[in-house]
Amino acid sequence: MTPMQRIDLKAILQRTVSGLYGDLVTRPTGQAVRGGVEEVLARIDGEQVAVIDFTTVRCLDFSCADEIVGKLLVQHGRVRFFLLAGVSESHREAIESVLERHGLAVVAWDREGRLQLLGPLDDLFRRAFSVLSRRGTAGVAEIAEDLAIPMEAAHDALESLLARRLVQFHADRYAVPAP
Amino acid sequence: MTRVVEVPTHFDDRTFDQFARSYGAPGEGRVLFDAHATQWASPYGLVGLLVAGQAVAEGGAERPLLTVPTERDVAHYWGRAGFFAHAKELFEIHGKVPRVAPAHSSDVLLEITPVRGSGDVHGVVEAIQERSAAILSGELGLETSATMGFAMALSEACQNIVEHAGTSGWVAVQTYTWRRRLGRRVVVIAVVDAGIGFRRSLEATQLGRFGDRWGDASALEAALFQGASRFRDPGRGQGLSGITRYLNRWSGKVSVRSGTARIAIVPPWDDDVPLAEGLPPFPGSQVLMIIPAPQAT
Repeated sequence: MTPMQRIDLKAILQRTVSGLYGDLVTRPTGQAVRGGVEEVLARIDGEQVAVIDFTTVRCLDFSCADEIVGKLLVQHGRVRFFLLAGVSESHREAIESVLERHGLAVVAWDREGRLQLLGPLDDLFRRAFSVLSRRGTAGVAEIAEDLAIPMEAAHDALESLLARRLVQFHADRYAVPAP
Repeated sequence: MTRVVEVPTHFDDRTFDQFARSYGAPGEGRVLFDAHATQWASPYGLVGLLVAGQAVAEGGAERPLLTVPTERDVAHYWGRAGFFAHAKELFEIHGKVPRVAPAHSSDVLLEITPVRGSGDVHGVVEAIQERSAAILSGELGLETSATMGFAMALSEACQNIVEHAGTSGWVAVQTYTWRRRLGRRVVVIAVVDAGIGFRRSLEATQLGRFGDRWGDASALEAALFQGASRFRDPGRGQGLSGITRYLNRWSGKVSVRSGTARIAIVPPWDDDVPLAEGLPPFPGSQVLMIIPAPQAT
């Protein structure tokens, strides 16, 4: 299993902005917290999955979602795996809006432990991801069979997900990053 | 010479244009805001009055005068809502100011609060989450998730002041039972500033797109429906459209007035117009959000 680095956003918020704050609101706050996240990223191996943990965050507004999720993915999403954890329904609304705006996608665990793909994505990619998350790991043939699509289409979908760092690839099998 | 600006007897978003007309353009002489006959004011009216005083002060004119409502209960409510605590900094007040401390009650969810920087926005969000959860889910019967969306919408509206107005502003939140107008409980949020307004804020990035059509109305349209921002960063400009989506989900109303125009997302229960142009000019921008309790099924 790929090692993971959990990054607690509330801890970063309280370290970089104020120990009194519990909400990720305002753009300057988002910029400071993103800076704190990037400090952690600079210290960890590039192959480690960075788990951005929202569990203890109450309110997340669009400005902070843009700074912390949007800009982080724009700048680092091509070279590193990100997983959002502890995402509430209201967090999700702000995050989805930001992802839509930037044309990005990310893997998230919600507070009920469900794995989700957030952001605008082709339906086939979503279905391939769904099969993969149910199976844990799978090869191209298994995805093609489960979705009743040609091998080539399954291969293309999985490779697209891999290129966007939404799935991982080890020993000829694809896998979803999971905490 | 003193110029009298009449504060409407019933001062809310529906009579605001009447107030703006009386406010008029900056001119010679001292301004007197005459509220002695005012019988009722919504948060929108109260913060609008503060903005008018602020605009006079920031325009370099002599400190304006303000007469206190003569009706005792009205003046007391203004005191509880935090109006006089801020008004005394902006106006020379005439009349009996009640000795009541600003305090939140079951109706005043957030007393009139200045918004000057992002620290104030944190304070507003913190306070509103503590105070509004019980009201929104208990009294208004909204889902728990609505509380967080409410804080998010409030945060974005307040940030609009910090990032775009070029000056400070005010926010106030109150609940009412609108017996005649709607027959339900509502939360009313007013966020206002005396700043440069949407047209001037967006001019540098949007004027070229609109050409001759550029004005207060097109600036509001660009901000609310097209996510336009004065920043060239593609991540900017999501706040107002996010507010609109939130209010839509809860059958709420949002209206934004700036300069001589007002644009609104009008729910079925309201009879406002979606766009009003050629209004009496008024400084800054005024955002009104109304969230009603869901209709009983």
